[in-house]
Amino acid sequence: MARYGMALDYKNCINCKACEVACKEENGVELGAEKHRIWVGANDVKGEWPLLDIASAAFLPSQCQHCEDAPCQEVCPTNATYYDENHVVRVDSDKCILCSYCMNACPYDARYVDDRTMTVDKCTFCSDTRLARGETTTACQATCPTKVRTFGDLDDPNSEISELLRTREHFSLKAHLGTNPKLFYLT
Amino acid sequence: MQVEVSRRKFLQGSVALSIIGGSSVGVTNLLAGHGEHEAKGELTVTTKTGTGEAKEIATLCEMCVNKCAAVARVENGVVTKLNPNPLFPKSKNMLCPRGNAGIQALYDPDRLKFPMIRVGEKGEGKFKRVSWEEAYDAILNGTDKFPGMGKILEEEKDNRSSFLFCAGEGMAEHTFKTFFSAFGSSNWLNHASLCLQTVVSGYGVTLGGYTAADLENAEYIIMAGANRAEAIVTPDTMDGFKRTKGRGAKLICIDPRFTNTAAKADKWLAINPGTDLAFVLALTYVVLTEELYNKKYVAENFNGFDEYKKSVLDNKYTPEWAEKITGIRAKDIYQIARDFMAHAPKAVYYPGRRSTFANNDFQLRRAMAIFQGLSGGIDTKGGLVFGKKLKLGKHEGLEPIYARAEARAVDKTKIPKKGHAGYSDCAVVSGGGSWIAWRNRFLEGRMPYKVRGMFCYKHNPMMNMPNTEKTAQMLKKMELVVTIDTMPSDTVMYADVVLPECTYLERTDPVKTFGGIEPSIAQRNKVVDPMFETKPVMDIMRGLTEKISKPIFEITKKYDEDVQEELANLGDGEDKKTPAQKEEEVYAEFDLTKPFEHSQEEVNEHMVKSVYGEEAVKALKEHGVFYPNMDKFFKQISVNEHQYYPEKEKAYSVNGGKPKTHSQKVECNLPNLAKKGVDPMPIWKDEYNFSVPEGKFRMLTGRHAQFTQSGTSNNAMLRDLIYENYAWINRRVAEEKGIKFGDTLEISSRTGKTIIKAYPTEKVGPQTIFFVHGFGEESEALTWAYKNGGNDNAVIEDVTEPVYGAASMHETNVEIRRV
Repeated sequence: MARYGMALDYKNCINCKACEVACKEENGVELGAEKHRIWVGANDVKGEWPLLDIASAAFLPSQCQHCEDAPCQEVCPTNATYYDENHVVRVDSDKCILCSYCMNACPYDARYVDDRTMTVDKCTFCSDTRLARGETTTACQATCPTKVRTFGDLDDPNSEISELLRTREHFSLKAHLGTNPKLFYLT
Repeated sequence: MQVEVSRRKFLQGSVALSIIGGSSVGVTNLLAGHGEHEAKGELTVTTKTGTGEAKEIATLCEMCVNKCAAVARVENGVVTKLNPNPLFPKSKNMLCPRGNAGIQALYDPDRLKFPMIRVGEKGEGKFKRVSWEEAYDAILNGTDKFPGMGKILEEEKDNRSSFLFCAGEGMAEHTFKTFFSAFGSSNWLNHASLCLQTVVSGYGVTLGGYTAADLENAEYIIMAGANRAEAIVTPDTMDGFKRTKGRGAKLICIDPRFTNTAAKADKWLAINPGTDLAFVLALTYVVLTEELYNKKYVAENFNGFDEYKKSVLDNKYTPEWAEKITGIRAKDIYQIARDFMAHAPKAVYYPGRRSTFANNDFQLRRAMAIFQGLSGGIDTKGGLVFGKKLKLGKHEGLEPIYARAEARAVDKTKIPKKGHAGYSDCAVVSGGGSWIAWRNRFLEGRMPYKVRGMFCYKHNPMMNMPNTEKTAQMLKKMELVVTIDTMPSDTVMYADVVLPECTYLERTDPVKTFGGIEPSIAQRNKVVDPMFETKPVMDIMRGLTEKISKPIFEITKKYDEDVQEELANLGDGEDKKTPAQKEEEVYAEFDLTKPFEHSQEEVNEHMVKSVYGEEAVKALKEHGVFYPNMDKFFKQISVNEHQYYPEKEKAYSVNGGKPKTHSQKVECNLPNLAKKGVDPMPIWKDEYNFSVPEGKFRMLTGRHAQFTQSGTSNNAMLRDLIYENYAWINRRVAEEKGIKFGDTLEISSRTGKTIIKAYPTEKVGPQTIFFVHGFGEESEALTWAYKNGGNDNAVIEDVTEPVYGAASMHETNVEIRRV
């Protein structure tokens, strides 16, 4: 029993997409550019060459925010979307009827359709692969060249993620929506 | 290409059956898709990792040149995941996207699977599957389509240099090179002249070594013409971006285009292509005139400082002068020069690792190295470092001397005399040679003798060097082309004999020592057995040499006067030998099979055990990594960080802060170069100025983090990240021309043309066009790479810089047309 979250030192991100590939290989995510549980958000740089706005070109790695108050879970008519014992938002593909309410409800666009099962899929924090084997990191965290991610138990005051959130300033995406994401961006 | 087995059978026969049989693993999605596996691009393979039994094998990645340490997870004989190996100080517990996608290289349905010989016309890509024995026989004796090695050597009277050997970078390159040395040819070409020749040599002659940069401790970093966020180099990429953006290290990025490195920098300055040298000379000018340099260091560790200072001052390389040439404002140049020296010696002008871009590249590297020297930031923490390398034992090769083997085929039409280059193509002939110069000499009939055969290992000259059309002509003209590769590349299409190598996950490679601040030894261990009939190079060489060694020794006996003389001398008295005994004795010197007698595992064991003992052998097999005291030094210090060496054990300084040149000084002035027609000190010449004729664009090429040149072009996983390459064109220019995102463009030069889609962006200036290298292959045997995107080398002109004949990649002007 834990309450898993992730802190992202996003300024380290170089948009190499190692996390995306590690996630796909670890979790057997369907191939295809549109099929991914994790991604790096990048905006086209603002300004005119050669006076470009470096700050506008930040990279924002993202995935399911594992919200404490997840809209996707609220709207699911079959309870396919549920919280597991570690507060990870999961999808039970046996229950999913592909009504796609959750995809519309998610403010973070974190869900996609797996064409093999015709069900909705998303980040699981590697719950049924790495965590199930007793490992303590997600595939995206382990592989990251610049070590953007720290995954851990928010309920454990001695965990590194708890320490990071106590000592570093951070923000959440779309915090005003009140979804209480468990992904934290360190500034 | 005619292949014997369809893609469907590939999976059914080898992967699918073996794992579907073992049902405990979650492999149901190995054959994902809709059952339309034969449709192009439809076949998808990802394998979810299971929770049951698994083997973990330590290996080293070969998706690019870095050789990062990985641990392969193997479930029921299938590699289901590649994870970073935290024990390796060079790659520090990471695998990039390509490293993660290595599984797709192993299970790529388009892989070369069997030995093949050509049955169609050269370049047509029609082959027939043969046994290894038949392939070796075809190499020795030829077929009705091509002559064999025996015939060629016979007709060339045992001139071993009638064969060219070329290789791409890789751990097994050494094994292939051992074959080259034993065979006795003088014609060796590798990636150096298409890659980092000028930077290695420029730093080599100036500082005595191609230094690494301590980006973990530097406080100020100038990264000019290097793109570490996209062209990943370990450990630099990991060290370089954790402290930028006001977090301890200031990163200044100088590049004509806005790269991901620029996005991560504190300051990005767009520079005109090919004018970095003027920028460095102006920085030097500021540092000299304002006396910001480390005077003590210069007094003790510089040769030719006064001459260089005089040259820079007399030539008035002021920031105002440089502003006109580079496009970088003078005030920025003053600021950077002052900031750099204020942070010295924890300041780095990053040497980089890249192709030659401009004709002045060698001089640029010299100027950069000297500028670094002025700060005193050499062989010191936070500066440029030489690092330490752990010794390995020796593996004996074989280097017989053939009397009839000619020297390397160079063109000495110019008589080497004072003030002139020694050769028509370049001033200095390096070990790796000049690929472009060699190819062009061969095509233009400027060879001192006939070269008729070629062995090509893990190398794709059709894609990797400027002017693809000329390379095609060369390969057509070459009478016997043998390629050893894992993929049916464009070059393999021109082969007469194709020998399929297994991928890096299917072989143990030569153990390797990795120098640096935190040195270690690492080994690529075989993860799974070779699939199909593929083999590691060691085994290929063993089979080939067993076939050819004796027959071609007979040719040597026929033409080699020295061998004949030796055979005739039977000795006298007690030493007197029978002719058979004598022949055996002489043949021993020419027995090509010798270096390949042992397995790679045995050779590695010997090389390690002789220096570090049995424990090290065991560590390399089990953990992939070894260095003395690893068990004591290595510690996990946080979820993401590890200690490899305690601070006091790190090799920041190995030469007392001095350069490693013979003189132990920074060499500003090299009169020896002047004797070869090369400027002895870095100076600016008008011919270096950037100019593009009206209506044309300067063509830039480069890298990104998701592909490694053409080697990964068929990787299905990576293609999800970058489907194809796009031509970056300035947004305002595109608007004027009515070009929109996704429009098809034809990009052409005097060399040729390529078709590519447009990406209007402000990330490039109005006079430049950029697209990444490695796309647009023409081999129909590559399902995903075939005609996908544009091939830069179809357009880039074969211009070489004057010192080493290295390919200058950014000297081509192109036209663009919407089609």
